[in-house]
Amino acid sequence: MKCDWVKDNIVFYVYNELEDDARYEVEQHLARCTDCTAELKSARKFHTTLSQAPVAEPSPNLLAASRMRLQEALETTTQGGFWQRLVFDPGNWLRQVRMAPAVAAVLFIVGFGGGIAATYNFMGGRSTPTSFASNPSSSSASPLEASITGIRSVTTEPGSNQVNIKYDTVSTQEAQGSLNDQKIQQLLLFAARNNFNSGVRMDSVELLTQAPNETNVREVLMYSLQNDTNPGVRLKALDGLSGFVRQDVRVRNAVLQSLISDANIGVRMQALHLVEPMKADSGVRSVLTRLAQSDQNASIRSQARAMMEQVPEMD
Amino acid sequence: MAAQGNRIDDTTLIREAQQGNRAAFEVLVRHYDQSVLRLALHLTGSEADAQDIHQDAFLKAYKNLGSFRFECSFYTWIYRIVTNLCLDHLRKRNVRKEDAPVATDHSGEEYSLIDQVPDGRSGANPERDLMRRELGRKIGAALSRLTPRERMVFELKHYHGLKLRTVGEMLNTTEETAKNTLFRATQKLRSALSEMR
Repeated sequence: MKCDWVKDNIVFYVYNELEDDARYEVEQHLARCTDCTAELKSARKFHTTLSQAPVAEPSPNLLAASRMRLQEALETTTQGGFWQRLVFDPGNWLRQVRMAPAVAAVLFIVGFGGGIAATYNFMGGRSTPTSFASNPSSSSASPLEASITGIRSVTTEPGSNQVNIKYDTVSTQEAQGSLNDQKIQQLLLFAARNNFNSGVRMDSVELLTQAPNETNVREVLMYSLQNDTNPGVRLKALDGLSGFVRQDVRVRNAVLQSLISDANIGVRMQALHLVEPMKADSGVRSVLTRLAQSDQNASIRSQARAMMEQVPEMD
Repeated sequence: MAAQGNRIDDTTLIREAQQGNRAAFEVLVRHYDQSVLRLALHLTGSEADAQDIHQDAFLKAYKNLGSFRFECSFYTWIYRIVTNLCLDHLRKRNVRKEDAPVATDHSGEEYSLIDQVPDGRSGANPERDLMRRELGRKIGAALSRLTPRERMVFELKHYHGLKLRTVGEMLNTTEETAKNTLFRATQKLRSALSEMR
């Protein structure tokens, strides 16, 4: 009975989809049952085999062509307006009406709080303002992030913590302020993800690594680590996350994911180096075991094996 | 995980786009279009079909953005649209058995997607390359024998690494159902590919 249950759940065990208690039960059973251990081995081999089939990445040409086609189509497309929403989504309309008193109360509280905060900022927050200079004339525009079409450059002034960012909206604008400034941080966060100039992303990620305690900064560093197309940017992001591998399980998982699947060997080696102090952790251990057994790269394989040899046996 | 990280930025972009700011919508598109295209390309095996799905999905998203209420992430929402379009495509397509993932280029010529993937690994040699392609063809054939829904769940889980809970949300079903579908899909694939194990 137990074997049947374990065999039915092996696939979810391999895909890391079991609850902690179920996972524990499976592991306990596997330690005793050779049949189920063989089944796990076979499931893992099957998983690895399937992963060897390459998934074709869309070519840059295809991506560019698709974007252009979409842009053209958007020119002639209009969004569904209020009446369309009302006609086609009456459930949503009713829900809004039902929630109206609660929404009004929340708006009142937020408005009241916002008013107090704004007054407080106005009175006390004049010491290190962010200055915005836009071409040709406006001097204090504070553009919404959504209207930014790209970040042109990020530079720092030597010997100070002043950051200078040039970015485009409809026209190019410029923002100056300290690294602690919220607006500067927002622009850096935007730049780190903006996928058009890898040099700008590199500069932004490098600056953001100075403030990895901020949760949203860490989120962006994880995003860059997993999605940036430039290995240099991914390495910088790894650098910024290095202090959080132990304490933040999401960071650890992101680093492990890079270790397993990053296309660049340098990034993988750096990720391996970062998880080394955590090799007693069960998640890290299972990744290292997998790499030691079957990684395509000989040097990752041998380093993972060496690390595993240093881990004391666990019950 | 990446989707979660996008959440703050996306919220501002979505609100701007809901006000009719098309530039904001285009920035939003660039956050997701590569993975949308990859999913559509792998599922349909055709660049032209993938491009159609990409366009239909984002146009649909643009038209209906007003009804997006932040009840789920934009990532889940756009993937829900894309998976529906892909499922429709898979259902309509007259799937040939033993189909290799073949793409059609703009001139109408067919070529194997597997052949287009460069092998950047050190020590790659023609023999290994040939075996890899053969393996890819067998896997492609086994995948094409799954039902559209099984194929979709397997694709999202195995190749895109999504949690089954998210997969369930995208396919408008429960995590439990997604779990059962994944189980069935892997059983079928294991049996189809048993000689390779």
